[in-house]
Amino acid sequence: MKLILKYLKKYKKLLVLNVISVFGFALVELGIPTIIANMIDIGVKNQDRNYLYSMWGAILVISIVGVAGTILLGYCCAKISTSITRDIRNDIFTKVQDFSPSEFNKFGISSLITRTNNDAFQIQMFINVILRTALMTPVMLVVSFIMTLRTSLDLSLVIAATLPIVILGVILVAKISEPMSQKQQASLDHLNRISRENLTGIKVIRAFNNDHYEQARFNETNVEFTGYTKKIFKLMSVTQPIFFLLMNLAAVFIFYLASQMIDAGTLQVGRLVAFQDYLFHAMFSMMLFCSVFVMYPRAAVSAKRIQEILSTQVLIKDKESTMDVPSVAEHSLEFDHVTFVYPDGEEPVLKDVSFKACQGETIAFIGSTGSGKSTLINLIPRFYDVSGGMIKIDGQNVQDYSMETLREKIGFIPQKAMLFTGTIAENIRYGKEDATMEEIVHAAKIAQGYDFIMEKPNGFDEVITESATNVSGGQRQRLSIARALVKKPEIYIFDDSFSALDFKTDAMLRKALKEETKQSIMLVVAQRISTIMEADKIIVLHEGKVVGEGTHKELLKNCSIYYEIAASQLSEEELAYE
Amino acid sequence: MSKKWQTFKRSIKQLSPFISPYKWGFFVAILMVVVTNIALAIAPTVEGMITSQLMSDATNIANHVPNAGVNFAAIIKIIIVLVMIYLIKTLSQVVLTFALTNSIQNAMHDLRNALQEKIRHLPVSYFDKHQFGDVLSRITNDVDTVSNALQQTLTQIISGVLTLVLAITMMVRINAMMAIVVCMIIPIALLITRFIVHRSQKRFKAQQDALGKLNGAITEMYTGYNEILLFNKQKKSIHQFKDINENLCQNAFKAQFMSSIISPCISFVTYTVIGTIGLIGSILAINGTLKIGQLQAFIRYIWQVNDPISQVSNLSSQIQSAFAAISRVFEVLNEEEEVITNHPQPVHEIEGNVTFDHVYFGYNEKEIIHDLDVDIKSGQMVAVVGPTGSGKTTLISLLLRFYDVTQGGIKIDGVDIRDMDREDLRSLFGMVLQDTWLFNGTIYDNIRYGRMDARKDEIIEAAKQANVHHFIRTQPDGYNMQINEEGNNISQGEKQLLTIARAILKDPQIMILDEATSSVDTRLEKMLQEAMQNVMKNRTSFVIAHRLSTIKSADLILVVRDGRIVEKGTHQELIQLNGFYEQLYNAQFAQQE
Repeated sequence: MKLILKYLKKYKKLLVLNVISVFGFALVELGIPTIIANMIDIGVKNQDRNYLYSMWGAILVISIVGVAGTILLGYCCAKISTSITRDIRNDIFTKVQDFSPSEFNKFGISSLITRTNNDAFQIQMFINVILRTALMTPVMLVVSFIMTLRTSLDLSLVIAATLPIVILGVILVAKISEPMSQKQQASLDHLNRISRENLTGIKVIRAFNNDHYEQARFNETNVEFTGYTKKIFKLMSVTQPIFFLLMNLAAVFIFYLASQMIDAGTLQVGRLVAFQDYLFHAMFSMMLFCSVFVMYPRAAVSAKRIQEILSTQVLIKDKESTMDVPSVAEHSLEFDHVTFVYPDGEEPVLKDVSFKACQGETIAFIGSTGSGKSTLINLIPRFYDVSGGMIKIDGQNVQDYSMETLREKIGFIPQKAMLFTGTIAENIRYGKEDATMEEIVHAAKIAQGYDFIMEKPNGFDEVITESATNVSGGQRQRLSIARALVKKPEIYIFDDSFSALDFKTDAMLRKALKEETKQSIMLVVAQRISTIMEADKIIVLHEGKVVGEGTHKELLKNCSIYYEIAASQLSEEELAYE
Repeated sequence: MSKKWQTFKRSIKQLSPFISPYKWGFFVAILMVVVTNIALAIAPTVEGMITSQLMSDATNIANHVPNAGVNFAAIIKIIIVLVMIYLIKTLSQVVLTFALTNSIQNAMHDLRNALQEKIRHLPVSYFDKHQFGDVLSRITNDVDTVSNALQQTLTQIISGVLTLVLAITMMVRINAMMAIVVCMIIPIALLITRFIVHRSQKRFKAQQDALGKLNGAITEMYTGYNEILLFNKQKKSIHQFKDINENLCQNAFKAQFMSSIISPCISFVTYTVIGTIGLIGSILAINGTLKIGQLQAFIRYIWQVNDPISQVSNLSSQIQSAFAAISRVFEVLNEEEEVITNHPQPVHEIEGNVTFDHVYFGYNEKEIIHDLDVDIKSGQMVAVVGPTGSGKTTLISLLLRFYDVTQGGIKIDGVDIRDMDREDLRSLFGMVLQDTWLFNGTIYDNIRYGRMDARKDEIIEAAKQANVHHFIRTQPDGYNMQINEEGNNISQGEKQLLTIARAILKDPQIMILDEATSSVDTRLEKMLQEAMQNVMKNRTSFVIAHRLSTIKSADLILVVRDGRIVEKGTHQELIQLNGFYEQLYNAQFAQQE
């Protein structure tokens, strides 16, 4: 709950207003019984009708004040709770933008979405309950207690005696319910996950005849969840009647004491009536307070999930003093004995990889699935930091640059390109915000996208729909290449970004790229031999190690793995050495 | 209104089979609600009796009547009655809670299991027609809504109505004229509620729209996380997000504030009525037609009336969403199930001869398979090739009886597969499907899914055969690495290897590989196929492949186009045919410059 307190601090003024308006509510809820008591004690007793009329007027006045207070309370609650939710969401989103991929993947997209959205909403609901009910209860209790004190000291003591028991009970229930509710939430998540998996894997589950297993797995979790739910609901709903009984018994006791006091002539009956009313209202607010219990555990879980994001240590960040861009005659990229192990990984993904690329060169990487080639290129824009060795750009360790400078130098085209909702032109302009239309068209032409773009009904103004359903996989790849081209980076990294193109387009694209990227370093990861045959240097990776380095022809001769890859794709004639 | 009533009736009827096993629990619960409310209704009157007694005693004292004093005997009698009422009330509340919670939660448990069971029996075609997210939301969110509504609103509604009826009855008994004044609260309150709800609904709509926009933005920007990073767009997207978020905040505030006005407005009416009753009652008391205790009780009843009335708008929206949820849940439960095979043929050791006998298949009038007729001998490796959408995968789905043929028949060793139990049939096959389904669990568990009773060394052996052992060892926690919920912490190619290991572990009599290695590099693909050939020696296997390089060694290649087999034979035969296969083959290989 520290989280909520931290955010509440920003809205001190509204909070004060909120508390004041709660008093307005208390005024009317407790004022009316007081006035009614006066009507009975003074008005009826003295048979003073004028007094009764004026008291009726008084009730009207306080009603208006009270209603104004309650409306103000509604205003404050709504304002504070929605504002805090907004702040929390902003902070989560900002924090996530700072994440490096390892933190990002630790949470996963869907979990991040739920946390930003639903968990923040849970907090909103909870803040509402706190500001409204939870705040009202102590105010009502204190005010009623003062009123009862004024009415009769002895009777008040009876109520005072019950209070510690109630407070103790509240704490006890809170203590018991929180871990229980966490377990319930966890088992609900589990249950939902199984349902989800059962739907996505329907064919596989049936093909392997595992649906009895799935049913058993589901039922097991279902029983567990039902058990927790029962316990929690029972705990929550038994608390309230028991508190009430306590208050009721106190009330009975008060009746008894009051009778004696009236007998002795030290108490008026009207006072007793008012006293009982205060007690009723105090009890009623206690009951409302119980709703906090229902909300609290859920909100606590959500707050914890949000806090997890906000307090995540970002592993990869800028050094305190970063390098300026050194001016060099010729750009270069160098891997110097680079080793990379995932945290807790048993074996390294990359072992002692070294190579150097100079301006104007094209370096290609090839190797089996899981050989580490994707990991290798992900190290360059510092998606991950190396475990050993060093990566240098223009002679400087990449970790010495600021992240912004570093990524400014790199044009990275992933295999599965993500396009954003917006027009085609806007998507290409994503690479360079102030790109002119000429630049965009030029980039599209080189990426072999111009023709298909012009075939769209709105050309460059065609809107890419959500999840880019109106462009094919190959078109998407070409747009993402155009997006990188318009940026004119020093280093291009193609991560299997030609895979969805047919052979003809692939060839034309490579030809056009060659012209365009003369001044840049090109790194290409591919599975197709034909894509990389003409590279200046091909690096063959196998189980994280460099097992071959050279041109296509050289490798055919002296690298068996390369030969095997080539043999699986090329015809006999093409495999001929000369 | 009549429409709402019908939904109500239908929902109750549909829920009743789930509720009826626990009907005694519900019965007890409802009985207890009644007891509680009667106790609640009587309590103020009894309390009032004390006050009245005290008042008359006090008046006597004040008037110096001889021997005047509080009549303790009478008071204690009333107090004992009052304590009894309180105890009964509390006890009935506790019993109510236990009975209700047990019944509802047991019923919900059954409902969830029924849904899960239903999913098992729905034909695969159901899942083609319905969006995955929608079905999931019915199983999870909608059941949750029903559960919460039953748990929270059921007692509230019953006790709300009872409170109203009892409180009004008691009031009428005390003073009919004053009771009529109080009853005025009800229509006024309903009018206020309607007036405000009518206006706040627009705000809620706007809030919903803003929320939708926020959701879209979050999804897009989290999915495009890599791009944002690479193009240094963090600041810009934060700015964009904040704008959308601000808009939501404004709309949410308006909606919330609007609906928070209802309760104070109704309370204002109540307050005024209380004041007026206080006035009238006092005057009546002066005239001697009303006792003080009665006035006190009467006012207590007005407070009781206020509570359920100010909850009306809240409750009605909860109930409506519950009914909507119920009807969505039962839409799933009422779907038609797969036809069960009566008197299935026993399936034991089979040889693996597969015959497609003039098979036709289509859904929604669209014909997908047209007169497919082919004989496959035991032990053959059959490759199915053809352009996207030609019906290759459908063929496999028919073989596994995910769908049943519309005409013709498929036979294994001469037995029509429709005469076999689905589970028996599927136990013959091992398959690697295009969609590489892994569940949220360890790599180890995911491979073991192929055969639940496999030993650890068998699992590792399968992984080695699938060439994925080394990869697993480089991952955090190795075989114990958790595949995350989206399954995006390993690559598509690696996923395919894991599903291959799973199929190898099953050691089936017929193997099906549906684009099983499409994301694996060609060299590895070749190695895998060799490994598979070892595993599958003398067993029938089906291979669907996009890349033609890897199926050259197949015993039989079926070339499918628009649901028909246009050519069949070995690679050499088909190339010599100079037909469609040759075209496909050349499109992939010869065009390289």
